Amino acid sequence: MAAINFGFSISKPRAINMDLNNLNKSDEILHEMPELQSCIGCGACTAVCTAGNLTEFNFRRVHTLVRRGEYQGAYEEMNKCMLCGKCRLVCPRGINTRGVVMLLKRKLGDF
Amino acid sequence: MKRVIIIGGGVAGMQTALHLRTQGIEPLIIEKEAELGGKLRGWHVLFPSFTPADEILTALRSRIKQQNIGVRTSTEVKSFTSRSVTLSTGETLACDSVVMSTGFTLFDARLKEEYGYGIYDNVYTSVDIERMLNEGKVAMKDGSRPKRIAFLHCVGSRDEKVGQHHCSKVCCITGVKQAMEMKKLFPDADVFNFYMDIRMFGPGYEEMYREAQIKYNIHFVRGRISEAGETFEGRIQIKAEDTLTGRPLRMSVDMLVLLVGMRANDDNASLAAGAHLLQSPSGFMQPRDLFLNNMKSNTEGIFYAGAVTSPKNIGETLNEACTAADAVANYLSE
Amino acid sequence: MFVVIAWKWGSWLYRLPHSDKRLIADGIFTGKTFAAVWEAFRECLVHRRIYKVNPLLGYMHMSLAFGWFLLIAVGWAETIAYLGLRFVPLQGHVFFKYFAVGLEHKPVFAFLMDLFLCMVLSGVALAWGKRMYSKAMGMRKTTHHVMGDRIALSALWFVFPARFVAESITSGLYGGGSFLTGSTGDLLRAHLSQTTLMQLETSAWWFYSIVLGVFFVGLPFSRYMHIFTEVPLIFLRRYGLRSGEKESTFDKFQTEACSRCGICIDPCQLQSVLGINTVQSVYYLRDRRYKMLRLATADNCLMCGRCTERCPVGIDLNTLRVNSRDVMRNLPSERRYKYFKGLDRSTGDGKVGYFAGCMTLLTPRVLKAMERIFTASGEEVWWADKSGGVCCGRPLKLAGETDAAHKMMEYNTELFRKHGITTLVTSCPICLKVFREDYRLEGIEVLHHSEYILRLIDEGRLKVNKVDETFTYHDPCELGRGSGIYDEPRRVIEAIGTLLEPRQTREHALCCGSSVANLAISDEQQVKLARNMASELEATGADVIVTTCPLCKKAVGRGTEKEVKDLSEIVAGHLM
Repeated sequence: MAAINFGFSISKPRAINMDLNNLNKSDEILHEMPELQSCIGCGACTAVCTAGNLTEFNFRRVHTLVRRGEYQGAYEEMNKCMLCGKCRLVCPRGINTRGVVMLLKRKLGDF
Repeated sequence: MKRVIIIGGGVAGMQTALHLRTQGIEPLIIEKEAELGGKLRGWHVLFPSFTPADEILTALRSRIKQQNIGVRTSTEVKSFTSRSVTLSTGETLACDSVVMSTGFTLFDARLKEEYGYGIYDNVYTSVDIERMLNEGKVAMKDGSRPKRIAFLHCVGSRDEKVGQHHCSKVCCITGVKQAMEMKKLFPDADVFNFYMDIRMFGPGYEEMYREAQIKYNIHFVRGRISEAGETFEGRIQIKAEDTLTGRPLRMSVDMLVLLVGMRANDDNASLAAGAHLLQSPSGFMQPRDLFLNNMKSNTEGIFYAGAVTSPKNIGETLNEACTAADAVANYLSE
Repeated sequence: MFVVIAWKWGSWLYRLPHSDKRLIADGIFTGKTFAAVWEAFRECLVHRRIYKVNPLLGYMHMSLAFGWFLLIAVGWAETIAYLGLRFVPLQGHVFFKYFAVGLEHKPVFAFLMDLFLCMVLSGVALAWGKRMYSKAMGMRKTTHHVMGDRIALSALWFVFPARFVAESITSGLYGGGSFLTGSTGDLLRAHLSQTTLMQLETSAWWFYSIVLGVFFVGLPFSRYMHIFTEVPLIFLRRYGLRSGEKESTFDKFQTEACSRCGICIDPCQLQSVLGINTVQSVYYLRDRRYKMLRLATADNCLMCGRCTERCPVGIDLNTLRVNSRDVMRNLPSERRYKYFKGLDRSTGDGKVGYFAGCMTLLTPRVLKAMERIFTASGEEVWWADKSGGVCCGRPLKLAGETDAAHKMMEYNTELFRKHGITTLVTSCPICLKVFREDYRLEGIEVLHHSEYILRLIDEGRLKVNKVDETFTYHDPCELGRGSGIYDEPRRVIEAIGTLLEPRQTREHALCCGSSVANLAISDEQQVKLARNMASELEATGADVIVTTCPLCKKAVGRGTEKEVKDLSEIVAGHLM
């Protein structure tokens, strides 16, 4: 997909199987930060992203996949975030995006 | 004869007045601008039929004149109740009922500093485009023809960062309409519309959207522009995520058009306080309910018509004005 | 008690890093020690800094600490005076009055002891009063204590009244005492029989010894550990020891020096505006000390520094917060920032570098204004990050990811060196602070744009028009309290128009609420904070609100209808 390969990837060449995926972790995350569910996928966070303009890091994509129960590689992806906070300033839904990054890292660190 | 004061002489106010007149009631329109017409005065043609806005305005104005309906222009209302209206001059006018048809305020695009309106030369709002179309000279600041134009939907709508949580409803279709007009003027130019959701709610809207895609080859990119900058050649550089491919997108364009939304008038709050009216969280006036009493306020004798309660298109506004006039007539005959 | 304290101090000192020990060794035989002694006297006994918060509150703390200290010192002297010059342990005087009946009366000592007891008692009375009506002492809210503290606190409250009663009874029985205990004793003798008094005497002294005992046993484990810990803290601080982004045992001196006075609660906007009552520095330090700190508490802080400004012990609260976040989440990964290699999106060529900062890229008016200012002053500029760069690293550091933050710092340092700049100007106070404190930029002068603009004006390279406009100024936390820059922006504003100060300003300025240091509060809460602080700026009646931080500009703009501009914008708008 991208030019830079870190040896792990969140996108897999298969369908998202909602019958197989375990949403427990995702529910836990949404329980702590329900506002994440209000994302309308406009992509402003990714467009403005300091790290995303230098790598294939895509905040919107990663947290959406996590909400679908696709956790693998998400922690490593989130680690690319520089936490600069531009995304929080542009999010039209007012999501605490920096809080989401830290929450995902905390919840998915052991994957 | 019963007297009804209509606050706001836009499309809603004029239509309400005309329908009250046919029912034997004496309406008086109070308009803060120097002429009747409201926001429609700045519009070129209307979606989806490309009907000139002037056609509708002229018809309404001439009927008002024919019917000899009382109009006070350049007059501002300070406060009102169901039986009297106080002007900013201190003068008080007695009446039997009031219709509030004060409409909306356009979102000030300068508040979204990252889009560069008022900073870079070639960033415009949809209102600027209508004005330029009316004036018959659509061009870049230096007068040259744009080769690439981007429209950005939802500026000042669905954006909690500027306190506008609601959808302004008509910007999507305005974006499609203006994109087509641009393409007609500049057939060689590429036109891109950046959207979060395309909401084609009205009759003929979806068909118009389809036409824009197929016949006019307008590109629709699903992603909100996050910021606009300037390139060394003075073009506008925009950043968005192409969410359908999941990759950030950068593009330089000659013109960036911001489709500004509708917001509630600032003076809704003070007017509401004076007449004990309820406002919805968005700041627009809150009707008694959204169904059978959607043109009535929570106070007896005060009625709403048009975009004062929520963003509406011209057709809806005209219909609602008739309903409001009927409700007033019913109220007065009771 | 002393064993526990000695063990605590000893182990903390022993486990200090080598460089800190070096600092102590270098400092101990210098004037710093004397300075520390003086400061210890001023702060630990007289509590000068609390007086600044509120005189009555200051008196309460002083009467307790200084009064008690004098009681001990004079009591000791009294004991010696009675028993002759021989070894008397410091605590020798505690029950002296009980055992030393029938000795020759020394009215001077008795008077002094009564005077000091009176002083302490007034402090205790005030402390009781404070619990009931804290507003009288300038505190809207007082600390909510844990069980252990409550026990120790109750014991302390009873120590002196008990002592007063016990001494009075003794004096009633055997004479002695002065205006306070003596006269109360006379009163008791007049109304009660000898036998009742004797019975009362025994129970009163027993009660006194028990509460005193409870207090001293509980002391090292309760908040009263601060009585002793503040002294070494003052000395160590004078020797140059500081807390850092990694935990060290010096932090223990800081956490245990907190008296939980709760002065930090009132300035906290999370408390006053949002009603969040569990995250203030006093609770944070308490939780950290008792090892029950939760991430939710550590994370929920604006790090605006308003509490640090008022802390009577001078605890470095923000740094402690950072290093506990570091402990709770720092997970360095070597792979993380490999992509920095070879990255360079900078443009231009000049000895003056301009680092806009991430946030400034979202406030293009500031960028444009800086461009005009550079052009007007004829400065050739190297633009470090106009088309996107690497973050300065401070947001990550504040979140506790200190190791990752250093990767960014290394990258940016290399970039600056590569382009050979001698001056680095930034519009972002967050970047400024990290450049000054964590980057190693010897040979490169780091300036905030307000300092830079003022310099251009002073040197006559930039000329501005004085107009008939009024401005009010919002001090960004990171620029004001964070970097001590208060006057430069004000002088620039005064060169253009009239400056109107808000009610709370300079080191007391409110935070805009959007601080990158806070990872917990919601958008709605940020707006509430912004509205609240903006109302103070609006109240000045100024035409324009000016600030010097892109993030503050965005945040304040959400809280007001008034025009909010960056300093650079008003300068660029009034160029001659």
